[in-house]
Amino acid sequence: MRVLAVVLLSLPLSVMLVGLLAAALPVPWSSWLVLMLLLVVALWMVLGLLSTLSERAWPVMAGLVAGNGVAALLLQTTSLYGGGS
Amino acid sequence: MKADRLRRFIDVHAWAGMISGLILFVAFFAGAINVFHHELHHWQALPAERVQPLDQDVFLERLIQRFPSAAERLFFQPGDDPAAMWKQDGEWRTAYASNFVTGGDFVEQPSSELADFINQLHYQLAIPAGGGLLNIGMTLMGFIAVLYGVALFSGLVIHWPKIGKELLALRHQGNVRRYWKNLHNLIGVVSLPFHLIMSITGAAMGLFTVMAVLLGALVFGPQLQGVIAEETEVWPAPQAVGEPLKMSLMADYLSAARHEVPGLEVAWVEVRGYGDSQGWLDVAGSVPGYLGHHAHVVLDPMLKPLRVISPASRNLNQASLSPVYSLHFGDYGGLPLKLMYFVLGLLGCLLFVSGNILWCERRSDRTGPSRASAFLLRLTLGVCVGVVSGVAVSFWVSKAGLHSPLAEQVLWLERLVFLLVLVPLVAWSLRASPLRFSAQWLRIMPWLYLAIPLLSVLLEGGRAWREGDVLLVNLLMLAMAGILWIVSRHFRKRVRLAEPHPLWVGRLSDDHPRHLADAELE
Repeated sequence: MRVLAVVLLSLPLSVMLVGLLAAALPVPWSSWLVLMLLLVVALWMVLGLLSTLSERAWPVMAGLVAGNGVAALLLQTTSLYGGGS
Repeated sequence: MKADRLRRFIDVHAWAGMISGLILFVAFFAGAINVFHHELHHWQALPAERVQPLDQDVFLERLIQRFPSAAERLFFQPGDDPAAMWKQDGEWRTAYASNFVTGGDFVEQPSSELADFINQLHYQLAIPAGGGLLNIGMTLMGFIAVLYGVALFSGLVIHWPKIGKELLALRHQGNVRRYWKNLHNLIGVVSLPFHLIMSITGAAMGLFTVMAVLLGALVFGPQLQGVIAEETEVWPAPQAVGEPLKMSLMADYLSAARHEVPGLEVAWVEVRGYGDSQGWLDVAGSVPGYLGHHAHVVLDPMLKPLRVISPASRNLNQASLSPVYSLHFGDYGGLPLKLMYFVLGLLGCLLFVSGNILWCERRSDRTGPSRASAFLLRLTLGVCVGVVSGVAVSFWVSKAGLHSPLAEQVLWLERLVFLLVLVPLVAWSLRASPLRFSAQWLRIMPWLYLAIPLLSVLLEGGRAWREGDVLLVNLLMLAMAGILWIVSRHFRKRVRLAEPHPLWVGRLSDDHPRHLADAELE
């Protein structure tokens, strides 16, 4: 269960981290959609691995929830959602 | 690295590998055969009729007359017996030029879909896709590929410090358990790039829908759907019906495409709006010599080029998508590379089986005999033997069925027999002694694969070796029989060299003393 929760929480985090990278890079995000997809997958694998390493479950879960929240807030400051490609 | 940190990595590696291992075995075994998907299509077909099939243009005309809905969108495949695929009432249908007999009537020949079944087994465990947005089997395979990636990254961290030593550690002398452990590590280390490619491209393909939904919901908004279509479609679908027009000859379309992309080897032509002035044709194929070898030339019905996508001219999305497919399917380096993918795929199967067996034995050694490790060992053996045997029997039914009175039923029989072999074998493995079960089936399985080329020769005579693709598949099945025979010999050798682990002889319920591996005693 713990692994499942960690894996599920790290998926949106990896998606939003790549979204933040898309906002930071000076190229249109639509031009590298396929690379973005590959990056999300690789990042999800690495995050999933790192998150399952801790002996105790709750600090990791709390960290992932906080990470998701911070990434979502940071994404609000960008013009990606609904903006042009 | 600290010992407890290393222990965590080992645990994650074991658990992720164990959860994904059995499904990956199915995907890799079917995938190894699926490398020769195109050749298998030829192998499964009935020998071509001696009569000359229709000319490709006459075939398309007759097809549209007989099935008007095919005019909207069809995929045409040139060749000795040209073929076309189109969607009718929600189902894909295939017709060959040879289906139109001399009088012009359409006569559907009984056919096999073995190649498609093996393909579906590879990417969606042959779970029916259904009509919804999400293909359940494919999405499941995507999640499994992510776990596989986690197992790979953790394995890399574990083995990186001693990678050089492990490459030279495979010896047959001494501890037999260590030999299998070293074999597992050696295969993992040597084929690591292959496995990294498979896990990342497999996860990206399997989870495309999930990722697109999440990227849309969390990052880009509803505009993403339109952008994906814009970036991945070769040309927008015709929006309105135009004037009827007479199509040019197919040979002219192919020639126009080759003029735009010199060296283009045409694989298929997508025709949108056949006989309509608003329609278009996408001549798709490969340009040899490139990793991302895919190319498309979009033409209007009057042969005017609308768009050219080739290794020399394409955007970043197409330039990254093409290698994703090539690296996953191994179709960029000719026969030698396909054979390498076949071998690496089978080695992957050995990696997953040995990983599960090592985990079961180690857990039993550390914590004493347990039902969990006994169950996993038996399940692993049952699934592996069941899948390998089931695929072989599906091959038999595909070949023999078309030459029997049950020819019309081959389409579903070849899938049914797979389950009829797999399910009882898994049930049997859960009850039988693992040692006896493995020994018996390792003796039987080489014969199951040897029978495939024999059936081909018996039923189709000289076609079995005269047609290149048929010969290649027959040789592969012969090689598979040889590989299984080698595995069987190694298994017997191991049993001779060392006392089997208690898990293998079904002594779990006895008060058997705790068994320490020789490696740990050292």
